[in-house]
Amino acid sequence: MNNDNQSDQPETDITDGKSSKENFGPKITRRSFLQGSAAVSAGIAAPIYLAGVSKSFAAKGGAVKIGHIEDLSGNLAVYGVQKDHGAQLAVKEINAGKTLKGGPVGSGGLGSLSNYAANPPIMGNGDKDLKFVNDGGELTESGMAFVEDKDVLVDSGDSGILGREVELIHPDGQSNNNIWQQLTRKLIQEDKVDCLVAGFTSAEREAIRPIVDQFKQLYIYTNQYEGGVADSNTFCTGAICEQQVIPVVDYMIQKFGPRVYTIAADYNFGQLTAAWTRAFAPQVGGEIIGEEFVPLSVSDFTTSIAKVQAAKPDWVFTLLVGSNQSNYYPQAAATGLEYPMASTVNMAQGYEHRRFKPPSLNRMYNCVNYIEEIPTARNRAFVKRWYEMFPKDPYIGQMAQNTYFSVHMYAKAVRIAGTTDQEEVKRAFESGLHLEAPEGTVFMEPSTHHCSHYIRLATADADHNVSFVREWPSIQPWWLQRLGVNLVRNKEYKQYIPDEDPFFKS
Amino acid sequence: MNSKILHLIGGGADIGTSRTFWIGFIIVVILFALYPIQVSEFRASNAAYYLLNIPLGLGMALLWGYCGVLSFGHVAYFGIAGYTYGIIAGNMVGNSFGLIAGVIGGLLASTLVAGVFAYFVFYARVREWIIPILTLVLTILLETFLGQTAGYQWRVGSVLLGGYNGMTGIPSIQIGSFVFMGYSFYYLCLIIVLVCYVALRMLLNSNFGQVVIAIREDPLRTEMFGYDIRARKWLVFVLSAVLASISGLLYVQWGNYITPSQVGLLSAALPVIWASVGGRSSLLAVIIATLILNWVNFTLSAQGNQYAMVIIGTALVITMLFFPRGIVVMTAEWIGKFTNRSNNEATH
Amino acid sequence: MEIDALALSLTYQFGTNAAFLFLSALGLIVILGMMNIINLAHGELMMMGAYAATIANNQFGLPFPLAVIVSFFAVAIFGAILELLIVRRFYGRELSALVVTWGISLILGQGTFLVFGPFMPAIKIPGGSYSYGGFSFSEYWLVLIGISISLVIGLYWLYRYTSYGLQARATMQNAEIAKALGVPTNRVYTLTFSLGAGLAGLSGALLAPTSTIAPFMGQQFVAPAFITVVVGGATNVISGAVGSSVLLSAIKTPIGMAYGAFLGTVALLVAALVIIRIMPDGISATLQKIMDRRRARHTL
Repeated sequence: MNNDNQSDQPETDITDGKSSKENFGPKITRRSFLQGSAAVSAGIAAPIYLAGVSKSFAAKGGAVKIGHIEDLSGNLAVYGVQKDHGAQLAVKEINAGKTLKGGPVGSGGLGSLSNYAANPPIMGNGDKDLKFVNDGGELTESGMAFVEDKDVLVDSGDSGILGREVELIHPDGQSNNNIWQQLTRKLIQEDKVDCLVAGFTSAEREAIRPIVDQFKQLYIYTNQYEGGVADSNTFCTGAICEQQVIPVVDYMIQKFGPRVYTIAADYNFGQLTAAWTRAFAPQVGGEIIGEEFVPLSVSDFTTSIAKVQAAKPDWVFTLLVGSNQSNYYPQAAATGLEYPMASTVNMAQGYEHRRFKPPSLNRMYNCVNYIEEIPTARNRAFVKRWYEMFPKDPYIGQMAQNTYFSVHMYAKAVRIAGTTDQEEVKRAFESGLHLEAPEGTVFMEPSTHHCSHYIRLATADADHNVSFVREWPSIQPWWLQRLGVNLVRNKEYKQYIPDEDPFFKS
Repeated sequence: MNSKILHLIGGGADIGTSRTFWIGFIIVVILFALYPIQVSEFRASNAAYYLLNIPLGLGMALLWGYCGVLSFGHVAYFGIAGYTYGIIAGNMVGNSFGLIAGVIGGLLASTLVAGVFAYFVFYARVREWIIPILTLVLTILLETFLGQTAGYQWRVGSVLLGGYNGMTGIPSIQIGSFVFMGYSFYYLCLIIVLVCYVALRMLLNSNFGQVVIAIREDPLRTEMFGYDIRARKWLVFVLSAVLASISGLLYVQWGNYITPSQVGLLSAALPVIWASVGGRSSLLAVIIATLILNWVNFTLSAQGNQYAMVIIGTALVITMLFFPRGIVVMTAEWIGKFTNRSNNEATH
Repeated sequence: MEIDALALSLTYQFGTNAAFLFLSALGLIVILGMMNIINLAHGELMMMGAYAATIANNQFGLPFPLAVIVSFFAVAIFGAILELLIVRRFYGRELSALVVTWGISLILGQGTFLVFGPFMPAIKIPGGSYSYGGFSFSEYWLVLIGISISLVIGLYWLYRYTSYGLQARATMQNAEIAKALGVPTNRVYTLTFSLGAGLAGLSGALLAPTSTIAPFMGQQFVAPAFITVVVGGATNVISGAVGSSVLLSAIKTPIGMAYGAFLGTVALLVAALVIIRIMPDGISATLQKIMDRRRARHTL
């Protein structure tokens, strides 16, 4: 029974030298189809945490409860409903016995080089020292340890999680912070959820984090945000400033020139991202020639547009958030503002390139960890699965994908832990977990509880067709590490802001 | 002396003057006091959230229902008190005096702002119907300001204002080492609500209260009688701001957190809605409406019901169409009529 | 950069900011200014106008100017139904009307979200742009400034020189006496509310190309609309709204240009507070006084 289950899994196939050999063949290019330690160790780990699980739901323990709060009504429902659908899709797949490839990476982490020999080395005992008699022959392949498989959704050999059905409890936050706090208490104290996945705005996250910490609840925040949360109970699976701002600023300065004008939403995300830009642009030869912060309520951008024109930049960094502020794009286009633009929030989140008539977003460059248009086979398969379940959805945004893989990541962590005990699952999350998400490989960095991401620089042309000009297969969340955060060793429950880093003092 | 106090409490400034009413009232209070015993700590803390909104609603009833002045921005005082408490208490962590200083500071700050603002409005004899808009502009101004206070330049002592993300880690009130949380916080809220209600009833049954009601009915005539209506309106406005601050202070205890959206347009409308639905001319009606509307809203959202806002909107329209003076007030009147009639029949 | 280009740009910004405030307030001028209904569903009426124009333009292929006219009538009809069913019970009860219209706005906002989803495809902004001395100007905004001016003239004509206008002014001033004099006041109320709703729909449609078409888009117009109308005052709603949008834009534009959008917004709000404090009856009352004094001097 167990053996049957395991032989269904492509993961175990990988450890089998013969069957995986063709994958390692010379026709495969260095960047694309190389397999390495990530997949191998996942394969080795698989039997350990999947042992003894049957296909039908075991009655004991009841359902595994995943609490998921997003805004299904009100102003932020635009994003909340997408995320809710992402969680539903993941839960459905988990209950149908599916999982995303991945497992603990082990030492080295992602991006490490891996070497393979044709045959296993033979060891012998010559004099007293242990020596290799035969090193197995020439190394046949070396390369970056990435998987670009077509099918990353594979059989888990499990039904639900540890044989227990997964139940998604997903109330509506109503775009109202007070309701968020009430719901969080309800999910933790009354429903006793095993895992809480929640939060669109940073304000919502900060509203519920004190409650999460009070009850030591395992909490996954799936949004892209300004970074800096160092919280022993919180795992952040969205992209953060160092993963998005630096690549796009670097690229834009190289391609269009050093004079940068920043126009940003006047609140935490906008201000902190602008601070990143201010600190980082000079490092790559750029110069901030103007900066404007726009309150979230503003929807008429005439004056802001004139200010951009007065400054005459090489390109404009637009960090505008919410539906009021995305009015900037059609208004700027109608005024004839033709500077190249860069952003980290638009397109992938509110699909402005689909909503606004071209050419409002012509020459917009956006650093994303996910966007529906990613052309890889695995993403096309994911998009297809999504629209099969939710045919009426207008778009699959970045955060929706994050929520989707985060739920799968939770299932994987529970299987490693062998229990839904939250402290054990947190330890499993800190085991160097990696996952083959629709975007590409993601890796949960243990010391900071943030994910590395496959970052792409997407751009829209005059007809709003999306293409990808550059890719970074794995960007680490390094900023908290530089501040000395190590959540594995020291418990912390705070959010750092750039002012605490001397690098940002200007 | 005793009878005078009883008269002040039981007088006709609010619905419910009969013996039956007071027996019912005491039973309900006892039920509220027993409620936490039967339920989980979560339910108690959730109920505490409903309770802590009541002083804000009462302030609205006092100002709008009894004095005829509508403020659309009383959440500003809620926010000022909450933020001030957060700043003072957060800077004096570990010092038990800090928490009391925070409470006093929060009340003083919002009293000061309300006092200056009310002076500006009432002593200039600004038109009645402009006051809601003026108060609304004030609270939007506060929200816009607080929203952009992320970053270190907005640090007061060791506390960050936190911008749109809000101020976090606000310490809870404690006496010695006893922290008000869960069940005990529920009782704190219940006691404060009761004290506010009884005190307000006494105030409104006093001479001062009668003059306030007279101002609502006919400001000109009241002034002709020689009462300084500006001073009284000013005082009522400040008092209602203090009530809003009490809610704000309790709110930051409950969530250890406050954000600028607490003083935004959406939050500003809520107390006005509670007062209208219950019936703003009765303290008790506003209390009941505050409890029920908060409960309904939470119940709908906990079910993940996307129709919650449609349902609440429809309920508001229907209430105002068929119960123009408030659903609780009109029900009470109907019960009153019914019991009077049966009393009359009995005596005949 | 030349001074004349900067001056031209500032004039253009001043014009667009004033037109934005005026258009935001357009329907509310009638509904709040004349009828004294504190209409919190004003933003949702504008949203409906934007949706009507988008559907007419995208799904039925109507040219944009026609779509705008369609949305005026669509929202006006909706307004008439709203008045007949609900609003008519709330005349003279301003604050109850506030709660009812709040309820209506919740239903319309979330209802639109449930029916049409989170966003509508946008309408392309018609027209191109001119540029001069490093600044450029959108043709469409120039047209909107022109439309705002002609709307002012049209409204003024409607209220001054038509029999409906006379009846409406009479009814709003004293419904009882108007009724006694044979004015069909009920019909006047319905027509006036419907006109206000239609105008809100019209401005929603006109602003639609510059905006995200979303169920809660109306919220962005509520605060500017109320501030414009209240600052304008009720003595003469049309001159008041024009005066206040011009004055507020004259304060906001230079401060926004020099110190950024945050201080521009703050300046607008503070200016509104100060103006209401100095002129409690709004700009229109002050304008009226000045005019009266002039007239008095002439007759002397």
